[in-house]
Amino acid sequence: MRKLIISAYKEALLLLRDIEGIVLLNIMPIVLVIVISLIQERSFQNILESKINVVIVDFDNDSLGAAFRRGIDKSNVFETTEIISGDSILLENARYDVARGKYQIGIFIPANTTQRIKMRAINLVQKQLPFSVSVQPDLIDSASIIRLFFDPITKPSFKNLAKSRLIEFAAQTETRIIFETYARVINAITNQSGLPDFPSEPIIRFEEDLVSEYTAGIIPNSVQHNVPAWTLFGMFLICIPIAGNIIKERNEGCLAKLKTMPITYFNIMSGKIIIFIFISLLQAAFIFLIGIYFLPFLGLPQLQIHHNWIALFTITLASAFAATGFGIVIGTLSSTIVQASTFGSVSTVILAAIGGIWIPVSLMPEILRKISEISPMNWGIHGFYDVFLRNATVFEIWPYVIKLIGFYGVCIIISILFRKYQVNR
Amino acid sequence: MGDTIVLNVQNLTKNYRGKTEPAVDNLSFQVPEGEIFGLLGPNGAGKTTTISVLCSLIKPTEGRITITGLDLHLHLNQIKSRIGVVGQDIALYEKLTAYENLLYFGTIYNIRKHELQQTINSFMHRLGLDAYKNQQIRRFSGGMKRRINLIAGVLHKPQLLFLDEPTVGVDVQTRNVIREFLIELKYSGTTIVYTSHLMDDAQKLCDRVCIIDQGRIIAAGSPSELIALHPECKELEEVFLKLTGRNLRDT
Repeated sequence: MRKLIISAYKEALLLLRDIEGIVLLNIMPIVLVIVISLIQERSFQNILESKINVVIVDFDNDSLGAAFRRGIDKSNVFETTEIISGDSILLENARYDVARGKYQIGIFIPANTTQRIKMRAINLVQKQLPFSVSVQPDLIDSASIIRLFFDPITKPSFKNLAKSRLIEFAAQTETRIIFETYARVINAITNQSGLPDFPSEPIIRFEEDLVSEYTAGIIPNSVQHNVPAWTLFGMFLICIPIAGNIIKERNEGCLAKLKTMPITYFNIMSGKIIIFIFISLLQAAFIFLIGIYFLPFLGLPQLQIHHNWIALFTITLASAFAATGFGIVIGTLSSTIVQASTFGSVSTVILAAIGGIWIPVSLMPEILRKISEISPMNWGIHGFYDVFLRNATVFEIWPYVIKLIGFYGVCIIISILFRKYQVNR
Repeated sequence: MGDTIVLNVQNLTKNYRGKTEPAVDNLSFQVPEGEIFGLLGPNGAGKTTTISVLCSLIKPTEGRITITGLDLHLHLNQIKSRIGVVGQDIALYEKLTAYENLLYFGTIYNIRKHELQQTINSFMHRLGLDAYKNQQIRRFSGGMKRRINLIAGVLHKPQLLFLDEPTVGVDVQTRNVIREFLIELKYSGTTIVYTSHLMDDAQKLCDRVCIIDQGRIIAAGSPSELIALHPECKELEEVFLKLTGRNLRDT
């Protein structure tokens, strides 16, 4: 026990005397959390809050155009500019404006579109009746094409959103016209006048509910993702100073000296493990505090961590073990500090990328989703998601905890076996 | 010198993977208690490999080694508490003070804190370092580092001390202090196995020397015996050059 305490004390002193290293180690993930949260929050707001500029070129000048305008205005997704004219030069101008990015979408409603819908409705009604009813002037029953122009740099998600909303408005208008036509025909048959009100509210409505067990229901946002994600990244980045520490100890001859002394390799490493785990926990606590108290000052949502402290501590501790084990194995296998820092930083970035730190795993292709399951950062982030978003208890996150501790164990075993191999060479 | 054999090396051979010639070839020697035994040889002769095997840093291919009567292979942990190793490299933590370094290494040998503090103070005083106790090693001169390195290897008063070039790169005064300190250790009962390129040091310090080349012993005896065997040589260095040749040995 004395050996373990003195080893940890030695490591603490060495680390404290490299204060620049500690500051960098803590500041880097904090900067990442702030910058990435801000960037992603803006993108998130772009999709939900910023409006899509739309120009409507309405040659129809009837119910459909009016319905489009009403729907578009009510949707809060679009910002409309109308051109109500049959002048084809104005249509070309609108196309040009879309092409150069003034508007993201252009909608061209050709002349007589409403009339064509009405004609279709009459023809449908006519087929049902044994006698002829004439309520509208004759028009050829043919499809009407509403043309959409998109700015080439419009995001596919914007395009799909706009298209689906326009299809929805068109369907609503078509339904309304068919309803009104039927009503007129029935009026003509029954000699009644006046049209019943078409219901403005749909009969089927959708209600959203976040199915968190926590009663308040935390909304996943950039902060809820980025704070734990970049905390994990920072924790794994600790592999570089750990590996550097081991290589320096080896190059200075201290490790060889220790091997001739009554202390095991595991004991030597345990001193480092204790201190670096403590540093990792401190780093995580610091970033969580930033998420709770500082990010709201930047206009970002506050990090919600619930009060499941044991689960939060357990997943953070397991992640710290995994990160420290990773550093130990890199330090043991690498010959030089340059080798260790290159491999350490690149492998951390790769593990972060495939582990869902940069973008959530759900947005990855199937093959990458499978690959992501081997990244310890993936286990860590899912553990944090469960604690932060689902208020999971320690019993619910145990699969991730076991995987992370298992990863640590494998790293330590590889290190010990490699040391033995070196002695036997 | 006592009759007890502290170090017994029998038919020690070490082959490195991928090398055709053994680094150490069937080496046998004994070192009795209280002796300073010099292991001398040119570069690449096999000195460091021999010391590394004896210190358990690498495993031998063949041979049997007993230290203080215990088989090195079977009783490694016990043996580690009985030996001290002072390597050619300065194996100290640069950002720790001299005292913190010695406290760390001493605690690993399970020395009680009070006793350890006394030993540290006494050895630092003896080697003229007590004023620098709380200074970080990185601020020390080469000679000061060597002295601290030496203290770190003897804090637990080992029965057998391995010294690999303990006086390399130091000034005459430091060399002299280290030599005197080693003689004191010898008289306090520590057996010393010593390697050096400095024949003058070896001649003054060692009770017996063993000259090895290409992994084999080519001469053994006290410095005066070896000089006597070669009447044309006045110093151990001349004997050494006669036996190992004047060609450069770059490894």
